Amino acid sequence: MSRTGVRLRDLLGEALGGIGSRPARTALTVLGTVLGIGTLVTTLGVSATAGNQIAGRFDAATATEVTVTVAVPGAVGRAALGNLRRLNGVTAASGYSRSRKGDELPVRSTLLRDPSRAALRKVPVIGTDTAFPAAARAAVATGRFFDQGHLDRRDRVAVLGTEAARQLGVTRVGNQPAVFVDDQAFTVIGILGTSGRTDQALVNNAVVLPWTTAERTVRAGPVDTVLVTTALGAAPLIAAQAPVALSPNDPLALQVSAPPDPDSLRAGVAQDVSGMLLVLGLVSLVVGALGIANVTLVTVLERTAEIGLRRALGARRRHIAAQFLAESMIVGLLGGIVGASTGILAVVVISVVRDWTPVIDGTLAAGAPLTGALVGLVAGLYPASRAAALQPAEALRGPA
Amino acid sequence: MTEVIRLTGVGRSFPGDPPVHVLAGVELTVRRGDYVGIVGPSGSGKSTLLNVLGLLDRPDTGSYLLEGAETTALGDRQRTALRGARIGFVFQSFHLMDYRTVEENVMLGGLYTGLTRTQRRDRAAEALDRVAMSHRRTFLPTRLSGGERQRVAIARALIGAPALLLCDEPTGNLDSVTTGAVLDLFDELRANGTTLLVITHDDTVAGRADRRIRLRDGRPVPVAAGAPR
Ligand SMILES: Nc1ncnc2c1ncn2[C@@H]1O[C@H](COP(=O)(O)OP(=O)(O)O)[C@@H](O)[C@H]1O
Ligand SMILES: [Mg+2]
Repeated sequence: MSRTGVRLRDLLGEALGGIGSRPARTALTVLGTVLGIGTLVTTLGVSATAGNQIAGRFDAATATEVTVTVAVPGAVGRAALGNLRRLNGVTAASGYSRSRKGDELPVRSTLLRDPSRAALRKVPVIGTDTAFPAAARAAVATGRFFDQGHLDRRDRVAVLGTEAARQLGVTRVGNQPAVFVDDQAFTVIGILGTSGRTDQALVNNAVVLPWTTAERTVRAGPVDTVLVTTALGAAPLIAAQAPVALSPNDPLALQVSAPPDPDSLRAGVAQDVSGMLLVLGLVSLVVGALGIANVTLVTVLERTAEIGLRRALGARRRHIAAQFLAESMIVGLLGGIVGASTGILAVVVISVVRDWTPVIDGTLAAGAPLTGALVGLVAGLYPASRAAALQPAEALRGPA
Repeated sequence: MTEVIRLTGVGRSFPGDPPVHVLAGVELTVRRGDYVGIVGPSGSGKSTLLNVLGLLDRPDTGSYLLEGAETTALGDRQRTALRGARIGFVFQSFHLMDYRTVEENVMLGGLYTGLTRTQRRDRAAEALDRVAMSHRRTFLPTRLSGGERQRVAIARALIGAPALLLCDEPTGNLDSVTTGAVLDLFDELRANGTTLLVITHDDTVAGRADRRIRLRDGRPVPVAAGAPR
C-alpha cells in the first residue's frame, strides 16, 4: 500500500485495536482454532514420538544384519563369498552348511563323570569358514576359532556354540576335550559366546566344524545360509546386491531377509496411530475456521458505522478488506500459537508418562501457527469482501 | 482558485415506488473561507446533499466541481483519495471509537492519507490543542461529555488540513451550553480561514454562519441575513 499510504505496521495496529476491543469474543473465537491446531499437533507429535520409540528398539546392530538363504542347493559356491565381501558396506560375510540336509546329529562328550551330561544329544552340526564368529556376532568366549590352516588340513577340530557347550558339559578347552559327532572324535578348541543375531538361535546350539572337515566327516552339503553384517545403514543396499554377488547366474535361487528400514518402520507406525485423530484435528480446524468466519461477519455488521467512518477518512475498499483480513488472520495466528503450545505440551506430558523421548518436528512447531494464520486468512475472505463492498454513505448510517 | 464548491444542476433521487427525488437542480457555490449554514426540516435532503458534497455519494445528474476539478466523472479510488485529503467530516453521532483513546481517535484522521505515525501524532497534538482537548489525550471517549466528544471529532477532521469541513447536525446530540462551545470553536476555525459548511435543522446554529441556505423541495433557497426563520 504505497502512495495512498497505509503502512503494514499501522494496518496491524488497527487490526489489533479491533480485536482487542472485544477480548472475550476474541478469546472464544480463538478457541476453535486452538482445538483444531492442538489436536493436529498432539496427533502428529505423539505418533512421531511413538514411531521413533518403536523404531528405536531396532538397535544399530539389528539394522546391519542380512541373512541369505539358498533355496537351490549349490547355487552359492565358496568362492562367491569373496565377491560378497568385496561389496562396499559389508563388514563380514560367512557361509555355512548344515550336516545331512539339516538333520541334527548325535553328539556326546568324553566327560564320563556325569553320565547324564554325557548322554547322546541331537545337536545341529554346521560346517563354515573363518569369518563365522564375526558374521554371526558370536565372539569366541574360550579358546580360539579355527583358522585357514585348520581348513586347509581338514583338521578334526570343533568349536561349540555357548548352549551346546553347556549341554555337553564343556567349560574349558585347555585340556583338549573331545566331542563325538556321529561317533567321530573332534578336538574342542574353542567355545563361542552368545550370538548377537536374534535370527540365529541355531548358532548357540551348534557344533561348528571347518567346512572342509564337515564335508568329509558329516557329509555337509554346499553353503545353504550366508550371514552378512554390514556398515550402519548399508543393510538394505547389501540385501539388494547380495543375490547377484553370490549367485550371478541364478540370483532368484536366493532368499534375502534384511531388517525393516527404520525410517519406513517409523513412518508406518506414525500412519497407524494418526489416521483417525488427524481427521478429527482437520474437522476441528474447519469448525474453527467457520467460527472465525462467522464472528468476523458479525463484527463487520456491527462495525458498519466504523467502516463508513474509515471510508470518509479516505480508506479505500482494499484498506477495509485488509483490516478485516488482518483481524481474522491474527485470530487464526493466536489460535495456531496457543494450539501448537498446548499440543507440544501434551506430547511432552504423554511422553513423560509413557517414559518416551518426545520427538517434536521443527517444521510442525513452526508450521502450526502459520497454518492457524492461513485458516484465519481464508475464514476472513468472505467477511472482508462484504465489508469492502459497503457504500460509504449507507455504512455511516449503520450501527456504531 | 477561491471557489471550493460549485454545484450545477445536481439531482439525486432514490429508487422506490414512486422514486424519491430528494435533490433536483441544486445550484450552490461556496468560496474559500465561507461559513455556510444549511437549514431545512427533517427529511428535506440535507444529509443527502452533504453526502454528495463529501464524495460519499454520487449525484445522478449535474456537475460538482471541488476546488475547480470535476468530481462526478472520477472513479471510486480517486474520489476516495480526494475525500481523505481535502474534506473533513463532523457527524451528529461523533463516530468515535469507544475503545481507542482520544489521541488514537484523532490520529485515525491521517491514517489513510499517507502520513507517518509520527506525523499523525504531531498533528493530533496540534489539532487537540486547537479544540482545547489536549488535557484529555489519553482518555477513552466514553469518559467525555458530548461537547468534548464532538471537539475530539472536529480535531480528527482537522488533522489533514482539509479544504472543506462538512458538519452534519454537529450539535444535534448536545445541550445548549456545549452547543455554544462547539459553535465558538467554529467561529475560531472560520477566523483562521477554514471553509465550513454546517447542516442543521436548528436556526440558532445556522444563525452563527455568514450565509444561510434553506432546502425547499430539494433546492437551496438563500435566506436573507437577519431574517426571522
Ligand atoms: N438511501 C436512501 N434510499 C432511499 N431513500 C433515501 C435514502 N437516503 C435518504 N432517503 C430519503 O431522502 C429524504 C431525505 O433524507 P435526508 O437527506 O437524510 O434528510 P435530512 O438529512 O434533511 O433529514 C428522506 O425522505 C429519506 O427517506
Ligand atoms: Mg440528516
